[in-house]
Amino acid sequence: MTIQDYRADALRCTRCAYCKWVPLDLMKSWRFSKGCPSIEYGKFHSYSAGGRLITSLSLMDGRSTVTDKVRDSVFMCNMCGSCDVACKMCRYDMEPLLAMHELRAKLVEDGDLPEAYQPMLESLRTDYNTMGEPHERRGDWAKDLGVKDLTKTTAKYVFHAGCRYSFDGEQSEVARTAVAILKKAGLDFGIMGAAESCCGGKAFSIGVDQQLHKSADHNLAAWKKAGVDTVITACADCYYAFKRLYTQHAGSTIKVVHMVELLDQMVADGSLKMTNPVPMKVTYHDPCHLGRQGEDYVPWDGVEKKIFGQAVVYDPPRPRYNGAFGVYDAPRNVLKAIPGVELVEMERIKEGAWCCGAGGGAREGYPKFSEWTAGERIEEAESTGADALVTACPWCERNFIDAVRGAKGKLEVLDILQLVDMAL
Amino acid sequence: MEISRDAYRAIEDIVGPDNVTDDPAFLDSYAFEWLAELVRPNRSHYMPRPWAVVMPASTREVQAVTKVCNKYKIKIKPISTGWYHWAAPMKDDEPTVQFDLRRMNRIIDIDEKNRFAIVEPYVICAQLQAEAMKLGLNCNIIGAGSSTSVVASACAYFGGGPSSHYMGNNSDNLLGQEWVTPAGKVVRTGSLSSGAGWFCSEGPGPSVRGVTRGNLGSRGGLGTYTKCAIKLADWPGPAEMEVKGRPPGYRLPIGENFRAYTIGAPNWEAWANCYYAIYDNGLGYIFHRQLNLAGANLATALWLTYIDPTKTLNDVETLAKDPEIIAINETARISFQLILAAQSIDGIQLQDKILDEILSQTGCYRVERYCEQDMAEFTNMYMQRLGHKHCNFIWAGGYMGSWMQAGTPDFVKGYVPTAIKGFEDDQQSHLLVECGGDALMGCGSTLGGGGYFGLEQFVSYDPASDASIDACIKHMEDAIADCVAQGIPLGKEQLYLQIGWTDQRIWDGMAKAPQTFVLDFQRQFKDAVDPNYLGDRNYPWLPEKWGEAPAPAQAK
Ligand SMILES: Cc1cc2nc3c(=O)[nH]c(=O)nc-3n(C[C@H](O)[C@H](O)[C@@H](O)COP(=O)(O)OP(=O)(O)OC[C@H]3O[C@@H](n4cnc5c(N)ncnc54)[C@H](O)[C@@H]3O)c2cc1C
Ligand code: SF4
Ligand code: SF4
Repeated sequence: MTIQDYRADALRCTRCAYCKWVPLDLMKSWRFSKGCPSIEYGKFHSYSAGGRLITSLSLMDGRSTVTDKVRDSVFMCNMCGSCDVACKMCRYDMEPLLAMHELRAKLVEDGDLPEAYQPMLESLRTDYNTMGEPHERRGDWAKDLGVKDLTKTTAKYVFHAGCRYSFDGEQSEVARTAVAILKKAGLDFGIMGAAESCCGGKAFSIGVDQQLHKSADHNLAAWKKAGVDTVITACADCYYAFKRLYTQHAGSTIKVVHMVELLDQMVADGSLKMTNPVPMKVTYHDPCHLGRQGEDYVPWDGVEKKIFGQAVVYDPPRPRYNGAFGVYDAPRNVLKAIPGVELVEMERIKEGAWCCGAGGGAREGYPKFSEWTAGERIEEAESTGADALVTACPWCERNFIDAVRGAKGKLEVLDILQLVDMAL
Repeated sequence: MEISRDAYRAIEDIVGPDNVTDDPAFLDSYAFEWLAELVRPNRSHYMPRPWAVVMPASTREVQAVTKVCNKYKIKIKPISTGWYHWAAPMKDDEPTVQFDLRRMNRIIDIDEKNRFAIVEPYVICAQLQAEAMKLGLNCNIIGAGSSTSVVASACAYFGGGPSSHYMGNNSDNLLGQEWVTPAGKVVRTGSLSSGAGWFCSEGPGPSVRGVTRGNLGSRGGLGTYTKCAIKLADWPGPAEMEVKGRPPGYRLPIGENFRAYTIGAPNWEAWANCYYAIYDNGLGYIFHRQLNLAGANLATALWLTYIDPTKTLNDVETLAKDPEIIAINETARISFQLILAAQSIDGIQLQDKILDEILSQTGCYRVERYCEQDMAEFTNMYMQRLGHKHCNFIWAGGYMGSWMQAGTPDFVKGYVPTAIKGFEDDQQSHLLVECGGDALMGCGSTLGGGGYFGLEQFVSYDPASDASIDACIKHMEDAIADCVAQGIPLGKEQLYLQIGWTDQRIWDGMAKAPQTFVLDFQRQFKDAVDPNYLGDRNYPWLPEKWGEAPAPAQAK
């Protein structure tokens, strides 16, 4: 696809600005009524989904060119998809998130990618991770766990740790807990260790699509060789990449499971018994890539057609991703099953969740914006009176931890697996 | 057209470099407006590009930038959320600075006891409603929905909506306002002007509110409203809406002291009678003909599709052919939505009884399928929060409202057949959405308190198709011709088309108005508050003696 493919979306944008707010029906207060971190930080209309559609149109029509300001407006965005949900509240003929992706891809193609992304891309090229770490160390987190090495043997399941859990020493414990739970579940699983590659999702999110293809080719081939039919991950970014992007862009048919889904299943079938009380008031943050963007991918290769004269539909019907069927209940079911845990909800949840700030390459390219976005969420979490902010993605966690520390706050930031571990 | 660097720097000094831009792509994001393609040369989707966009954070900054504009003779065009093409500059050759007021976004106060709120321009209706409800209060949300600015509808443009029937029109609900005139003077109106607070809209002397906004509003043509107080109504529901379901068709459970009905009528006569009876009996918290925006032939199929998150618009095609749906659709063909609310169970039961009596006397009825739990809760959600107003554009991304002449139900009923026939004829081209000739939607109240309303024909077209755009323009011209032929005053289409006209053409038209003294007065008022004519022509006025026959000596 190219920006030209979304020209009609731009022409049909009404500049209604729904994309700037949480879905209006879900608005509960003035303070937490905003949906789009980008417009709140960048302020000018160009920093919204609708604004970027107009930027695309303006560039396509030769009315403007890519300046530094335009570049910032295109990339200073979390690609969190809140805008997409809000726009689709009333529209079936708009794909703002996909259109924004193509705008990024176009700038990348034209050599307009901000310089700040180069270290990450270089690290991906040389070490297959986003974090500037030597790839040989990728499996170190699991060294003493006695997990099957799937470069040497086969298994039905592969646990994909992802860049963050592999290299962020403060976070690796979560991956180790995941392994313990997988063992408890009695699954035939292993890891790829140093041969695991970044999922490619982050590079894709900044418009470097090629990197996704490389990562997908590598990981899919490795999994195939190891006889794997299901990939399990505790990272929402990887989950989205495997479930949606690999299926769409690399024809993957592999099953994809997030740890919260597995835990939910284990709680439901009684194979996970959490008996240790964890007396804590917690609030849950829906990671964008597990929540509103965590819906199943449905292959589609169709065209626009008109019914009733001019009503816009698609032939065959186009799948609709609007956050209606994201992974929302599984983590909540797990939290509710932990004795002693009291779950209190924030105002912006599920499809209306505010982003952690790490998505869309913002953490790497626009760290101040990223930190501000996280700070907004921390305030919202604190307003619930919770002791801890719990989530299910290492990128969200890292951004939140940094924001809490930056503000010298007291809120604890935990992965849901850490809470489960406390309860076992 | 580039902004003079001196003027730009002067503005930058006031608001800071991060809050002003003249980057062409950024400017285009303000020039691009809904409906532009119907009124601009070559079906351009852009209104004229502003010279610069500036984001003041306070009244003082608005005032200071306004003074710079006076110094450099640059026009001023303020927006709140910017969802209307009148928000953009009006002419290509008029250098204009766009004020984007999004940094002025505070609810300054909600005076619970006296039931009003003081807000800045970038407070939207949904925000104010959410906060007001916590205090047992509510605000009138205009028909454009809850994404719109309270200040914009109160101070600058129209202000009617489904709840105006009970809560008043925002033009009436407007209390004190703070206004930076185009000359850069800060004016405080009503009780504010005497330092007595925000509670009253009228101060000593003539009504500033009346002169600056009247019914339609100055639409950005007369400076900037930086704050206003707005009257609130009672809210007998919970402090927080407990919304259920998945997007897009969220549902709002109906409390025991509420009802959410769709009322059907066998014919327009019965419909008007029912309206009168509802009005006479003081029924209705919200009263609107809403769901017919989809067109009377397709409405049932569309909304049953919409409330099912697994469905897409493709499903409407199948559903619209289903005999069961066709039958339901017939019962809802002439219908409207009615939300009842009471402070007590007894109160709502009494309202129900009154409604039953009205229905039996007028031959109207509750449309059964629409009153079942799923549709009723969806209707309740839609009407209470008005968070689905972008559905106006649901069919193809383009909607233009023709007709919308307001008056008594008998007057409106009178133009309905012409409006239906004209739209049906124009759909024969297949270049507009064929949803039936009756896509008439409208407020139960275009004047605060009801009894007076209008129906607007929802003409859906595809803004990505030149042929469809042209068909919509043709429809606008046809509607005007129909009105002229039937002696009906012209509707919204005329107001829209004027955007593409020259000043001279507009003035020629205005000069034929029966009471041009209003337009003369407005010119004199403009001379006083806008000596450099920096507000655009959205505040209408007539040049002195325009259209009068030249004196014989001059004629020679
Ligand atoms: C789909 C749709 C349906 C609509 N239906 C209705 C309806 O049923 N009832 C109704 O009342 N209106 C209706 N409108 C018009 C609506 O009232 C206006 O668009 C506006 O009041 C909405 O608020 P906004 O923040 O988008 O205003 P904007 O688009 O920002 O501004 C609207 C006008 O007011 C001026 N303005 C805005 N803020 C200020 C300010 N602070 N100072 C000075 N001038 C200002 C602008 O210049 C512009 O001319 C509809 C609009 C749309 C798009
Ligand atoms: S992208 Fe969608 S929600 Fe945003 S302004 Fe355009 S139509 Fe409205
Ligand atoms: S993806 Fe998120 S940050 Fe980006 S425009 Fe949409 S809502 Fe804003």
